Amino acid sequence: MNLRGSHRFGAPRDRVFAAICDPRVLMAVIPGCEGVEQVRPDEYEGRIVLRLPGAVGSYRTHVRLVDVHSPESSGLEGRLEGSMGSVVGRADFVLREAAGGTAMEYSGSGTIQGPLARLDSRFAERLAESLIGQGLGALDHRLATEVTE
Amino acid sequence: MTVANYFLPGSLPEALGLLESNGPELLVMAGGTIAMPLINDGISLPRQVMGLRRADLDRIEWADGELRIGATATLTSLVAQDSVPMLREAARRSASWSIRNMGTVGGNLFAPPPGGDVATALLALDARITLASPRGTRELPLSEFWTGFMTTSLAADELVTSIVVPGGPGETTFIKFGRKNANTPAIVTVAVHLVRHAGHVARARIALGAAGPHPMRAARAEAAIVGTELDEAAIAGATEAAATDCESFEDAVASEWYRRRMVGLFVKRALSDLARPATGRGE
Repeated sequence: MNLRGSHRFGAPRDRVFAAICDPRVLMAVIPGCEGVEQVRPDEYEGRIVLRLPGAVGSYRTHVRLVDVHSPESSGLEGRLEGSMGSVVGRADFVLREAAGGTAMEYSGSGTIQGPLARLDSRFAERLAESLIGQGLGALDHRLATEVTE
Repeated sequence: MTVANYFLPGSLPEALGLLESNGPELLVMAGGTIAMPLINDGISLPRQVMGLRRADLDRIEWADGELRIGATATLTSLVAQDSVPMLREAARRSASWSIRNMGTVGGNLFAPPPGGDVATALLALDARITLASPRGTRELPLSEFWTGFMTTSLAADELVTSIVVPGGPGETTFIKFGRKNANTPAIVTVAVHLVRHAGHVARARIALGAAGPHPMRAARAEAAIVGTELDEAAIAGATEAAATDCESFEDAVASEWYRRRMVGLFVKRALSDLARPATGRGE
């Protein structure tokens, strides 16, 4: 599974980067996230419950920040594991200062194992892109709300 | 892993209670035409399943100038109603007899593209959906229901209970284009609802199915024909806008490029169909 995309935030770059590293913020913006815990300075564990048409399930997640160059870029190595299978992968993002905010570009790849791997990979990629888009949209909204408060 | 519990509530309050007590890991199923293939293939492995077939949510009623469709009304029952011809046509063009007998109107809202033919027609008709939870009931425009591919604004404790289609004037047309004429996934579905005054388009709804992460309105295409007499130039503008703005994708039946081309072609065909006098449409 390969992913690539971009997102534009209304907030300045240092605030976007700090938010991505804040487990409280992550819990609020990741779709279906029911808990995030910082287990080491750059490592997080959590639980995500996804209620999709025809398939529901909970997933244990483990994410580690690698190659951190705050506030410009970082990599995330992670594993997502549940009854329907697991996804192991790495994603990298770059934040650039842009007019009125921050531009993010991200790319990533992952290996799907277990029952989930029987899905058409194009289908899995579209679902992942949809969930990432929702999470980044929620993060943007949260940052904008904090600015105006 | 096998299903440990299958619940079959006899009413909406009972269904909402089961959802609340079992939490978001309870798989909610109506006709089962989306869930069962995933379960049979071992992709979806729910421990708890709730079927809604006996929850008394399957009525189709015309009241106060609106058609209220229960969420578990089957697609076959939608073919049988004659209040809204476009819905009858959309249901008739969906899947096969056996799937239409089991598949529900509420379930069609959750069908990932290229599914969702009835949902596309409902979107063109400005339908609203009713959502219920132990916290109460809320209604929202169908256009605000979808949030992404296979994701919706449905809260974890909510169920879709009905879909309301407003009555009123207008002309409609529905085209589904697939690789076969029947029992086929869509390459594109186009549903159009127009209201014209004195020969000019006063209001336009153009909904596209299988042309994005969920059924979506072609807003710029609609704007291109409002105020016009639906002449060739206006139709060309709408065609170009729809093909440019759609979020085409590649799947097993069509490439991204081909699907985008077909969006333009079938928006043009649908609008041209409506531009002709009614007697010339072969209805």
